[in-house]
Amino acid sequence: MRTSKFQKKENRAGYLFITPYLIFFTIFTGIPFLMAIGLSFLNVKYITRLEDLKFTGLKNFIKVFANKEIMQSLGRTFEYALVYVPLIMIAGFILAVILNKGVYAKNTLRATVFLPYVSNMVAIAIIFKVLLGSNSPIIQGLKSLGLDFPLLLQNLKLALPTVAVIAVWKGVGLNMVVYLGALQGVPAELSEAAQIDGAGKWQRIRHVIIPMVSPTTFFLLISSVIGSLQNFTVIQALTEGGPGQATTVMSVNIVRTAFMKYDTSLASAMAMIMFIIVMIITLIQWHGQKKWVNY
Amino acid sequence: MVIKERASKISLTVVMALLGLSCIFPFIFMLSSSFKVSGEVMKFPFHLIPENATLDNFTGLFTNGMYRFEKWYLNTIIMTASCIIIKIFFVSFTAYGFAKINFKGKDIIFLVLLSAMMIPGDIMILPRYIIFKNLAILDTMWALVLPSCVDVYFVFLMRQSFISIPESISEAAKIDGCGHLRIYWQVIFPLSKPSIATMALFSFTWAWNDYMGPYLYISTMDKQMLSVGVKLFASGLVQDYGAQMAAATVVLIPVLAAFLFCQRFFIEGVASSGVKG
Repeated sequence: MRTSKFQKKENRAGYLFITPYLIFFTIFTGIPFLMAIGLSFLNVKYITRLEDLKFTGLKNFIKVFANKEIMQSLGRTFEYALVYVPLIMIAGFILAVILNKGVYAKNTLRATVFLPYVSNMVAIAIIFKVLLGSNSPIIQGLKSLGLDFPLLLQNLKLALPTVAVIAVWKGVGLNMVVYLGALQGVPAELSEAAQIDGAGKWQRIRHVIIPMVSPTTFFLLISSVIGSLQNFTVIQALTEGGPGQATTVMSVNIVRTAFMKYDTSLASAMAMIMFIIVMIITLIQWHGQKKWVNY
Repeated sequence: MVIKERASKISLTVVMALLGLSCIFPFIFMLSSSFKVSGEVMKFPFHLIPENATLDNFTGLFTNGMYRFEKWYLNTIIMTASCIIIKIFFVSFTAYGFAKINFKGKDIIFLVLLSAMMIPGDIMILPRYIIFKNLAILDTMWALVLPSCVDVYFVFLMRQSFISIPESISEAAKIDGCGHLRIYWQVIFPLSKPSIATMALFSFTWAWNDYMGPYLYISTMDKQMLSVGVKLFASGLVQDYGAQMAAATVVLIPVLAAFLFCQRFFIEGVASSGVKG
């Protein structure tokens, strides 16, 4: 088939519209991605020094797996995700169900839960550090009731889950609003029909609503898992990886390795491993969805 | 039945109001404490209205001589505004190409862009540092502005919203002799104001709240952004709770104000499209 004159003109116009973007995309996403792969197989120390560059094969990756400190931070990343993902998924769903069932002042309540999502994490961290620190009015109040409350952010065992819970508090509004949109799309007749058939409140949620919103659950699950791994700002703002190493997760460790220890290639290998883990989790979810995501 | 329904609605409202309160209490605490002297911030029980309200915490931010809040504020405003303006035109221009022009290879290129959304940002931080250095934009606000313009996510959303505009409208313009540039600028762009507003608002909050970007790529104190500056300030004045709360307030106010006035664009924009986390 011969390309018509019109189609040629369309092609030219199309490339005119997307070329500026593609140039920027190549510079700031395409090349960095390829560089990240390249760096992880080289021996670069210090970001700028590029003499005696050597290909080192999988040496950096072996170093990552042999390094106890790095493996511990990888473990903490999973620990964090295991608190963050289930909590934000369940809380977001429950909040959306409550709002959807009908409450007074729905829009105001929806906005209050969404508010932390648009707020600056550093400012939030300043407030929480004061609220959860020794002598804060909350701690004093609990003490006066005879409750001995631990200092959550300074406790070796509790700091990591606390940070994850604060991250959920900040992010849950988004999940709620997305779920709410999905719930409003569930036809009322379906729920009513189930009710006539004698289904109770919980049965209706379990057998009608949850299956109907499963595509949304799938979408939110993937984005929450990815979000749970990108936790640098939350942790840096609240604890900077402390107390001790208690909240030093991979994202914090990568930045430290790259910008304080100047081990560029090791940091790249760590980042690549995170990338591969994300890919594997996403692929598993993609395959798993066929079993539980309807239509 | 009606009574039972109303009772359930009231009880759900109470539950929800308590949850909502837990979401805004930290902000109320912050606002109230920012007008208190430091000793009063930690007083139990908590007083909403300060006993001796003072503005010292706020004036202190701008007159302490050590932490340059006015500079950081100005830098952040300029950086955020550049992000929003460039993104609005750049992204909508590109999205028009993908939505309204049928050129060869369009779907494949778009698919490549979409798959880039899966790449976690963490693996870009080092290579980008090297690239910024080579482009001589390291330690300038452009290191924050330019990468944010290639946000694939918004190209995807704008494309969706352009596709939903009926083809007949652009056809009519074509018959009147308009080229693609004019259709984009005079027809499609004006018709998409709500989605552009949503994009502008989210770009605003993301740019304003960004911490990792300035933390990694800006080193000169006078060029620093508010997020990083405020953290330095708070770690420098550990015991001065009033000042810390005032600093947090100053950072949060612009975004909270935008949210209060444009809530609809934020929340409905999310509900209809599902903005990422």
